[in-house]
Amino acid sequence: MTAVGPRERAVVATQTGLLIFLYIFLYFPIFFIIYVSFVDNTVWPFPPEFTWQWYARLWMMSDFHLGVFNSFLIGAGTGALACIFAASAAIGLLKYQSRWRGLFAVLYLSPLFVAGILIGISSLMFHRNILGLPGNISSAILANTTQALSFAFLVILAQLTRYDWRMDEAAMVFGARPARCFWEVTLPTIWPSILGAFLVSFILAFNNLDITFYSIGAIPTLPTIAWGTLRHGIEPELYSLAAIINGLVFFILIILFFLIRLGLVRLGYRGQ
Amino acid sequence: MKSLWKWRQNNDFRFALLTLPGALFLLIFLILPLISILIFSFWRTESYELIADWNIENYTTILGEKTYLTFIWRSLVMAVSVSLVCLIYAYPVAYLVAKRGGRYRLILVLLTAAPFFTGIILRVTAIQQILGPIGLLNMALQAFGLEPIRILMYSNVASAIGLIYLWIPFMVLAIYLSLLNFNFQLLEVAYVNGAKPWRAFVEITWPLNWIGTAIGIVLVFIPTFAAFVTPRFLGGVNGALYGNILEHQFGATGTWALGSAMGVVLFLICLIFIMIVWRTINLQRSGYTGEEF
Repeated sequence: MTAVGPRERAVVATQTGLLIFLYIFLYFPIFFIIYVSFVDNTVWPFPPEFTWQWYARLWMMSDFHLGVFNSFLIGAGTGALACIFAASAAIGLLKYQSRWRGLFAVLYLSPLFVAGILIGISSLMFHRNILGLPGNISSAILANTTQALSFAFLVILAQLTRYDWRMDEAAMVFGARPARCFWEVTLPTIWPSILGAFLVSFILAFNNLDITFYSIGAIPTLPTIAWGTLRHGIEPELYSLAAIINGLVFFILIILFFLIRLGLVRLGYRGQ
Repeated sequence: MKSLWKWRQNNDFRFALLTLPGALFLLIFLILPLISILIFSFWRTESYELIADWNIENYTTILGEKTYLTFIWRSLVMAVSVSLVCLIYAYPVAYLVAKRGGRYRLILVLLTAAPFFTGIILRVTAIQQILGPIGLLNMALQAFGLEPIRILMYSNVASAIGLIYLWIPFMVLAIYLSLLNFNFQLLEVAYVNGAKPWRAFVEITWPLNWIGTAIGIVLVFIPTFAAFVTPRFLGGVNGALYGNILEHQFGATGTWALGSAMGVVLFLICLIFIMIVWRTINLQRSGYTGEEF
């Protein structure tokens, strides 16, 4: 290693500055709307006049509750479907050396390069005019799964590339069939990445507007309600909802962190 | 020999069993819908109904009328400039995290992706709350008796800031993932041999990480080119982009056929952009060894 000179120190300082500014840029708006959700004077919230009224109103708005519930269903359905397809594809691609693997890898990653609104409108046209399906929650799940599948595939692939396939061979030597090998060796090792893939696809589908809006018909979801109400101006109830969702996510992450720290949950075997 | 053949056959079967379900799913719910809008784009709409009357009028409308070309051009300029700004900003940040993040680098890079937990609409509204005429920035300037910054209020610059805000995490992640597999010792070799830092960057770091960087550029370009939420809330009167008129065809006007044609044009422009970027990739120069994954 070369010694760290003053010039290199200046470069690192600049990069650190850029990183810190990026965090501020990314998080300031989010913390700002969480802050605004607690104040009465939402336009210019200084000095703050604290209030719970947006939360109280949110509690009363039944269409929001239905929207959250529907978004939850879409997130859960998309997450489950995407994980099943992505996990089996990633294992198949890495475990069995096939000459088709390049083609399949390209196919599985292709939804990343198709704009969301294009998936939305093409699903709308296809479901409506060819399959004759009305827009509902299942058609929204199917349309969202295409894009979520790619993200889930990437997340699972990232961990599987470090997976030691000799463990599978060892299991096979002792007579395990591929299915048993999956349940007893592969799955216990790679479950953190499947959980990660589920969370990523859940969140993408839960928040998705450009695919869901076109494939769901007239059923309300959280983003489509937000899209509809925003046309008539911002409703502060939305901020309180965002604050609640962010709080929940933060809470889940903290719990996961402590479970891992206390050793109650182990993030899989990592090999030598 | 025979048993070897059988084993091989068996593995091909297992490969198909595991990879085909997802591939079929994508074929039915991604590729067939895209083909269907290609077909519908040559049809005609009459009072909200599609009519199978083959013609190319939708395309002559899009490519012949100045309004549509203006929207395409505006979106193109927006997408290229947003990708460029994201690239220039994200590179040093990803470099710092990958090289000096140590055991915290995963957390540091995931922190840039965490805003995705909040939906796009809410984040765009948050930006609007800050940049708009009655937003935080403007009110603060007024409170201090300063002139408002007009260019940040309901303009293409405001849209660009919103789009950079939304998609820069993709660029950081793509470059970071590429740099993770980059051998930083190569730079030490270059320095020892007398290369200046910028030359080592131009001749080693940049070309060896170009694939990851190119993927980042494409991942920012596509959603920016197709954006409709951000320009709607931040763009103001002259800020409508291609995504907005596309969205319009499926909403109020219900001109499905024209909308399908616009979708096809969107797809083709993104495809051309991907091809241009792909042509700049030289696998040998990128350190590709023929090994996949």
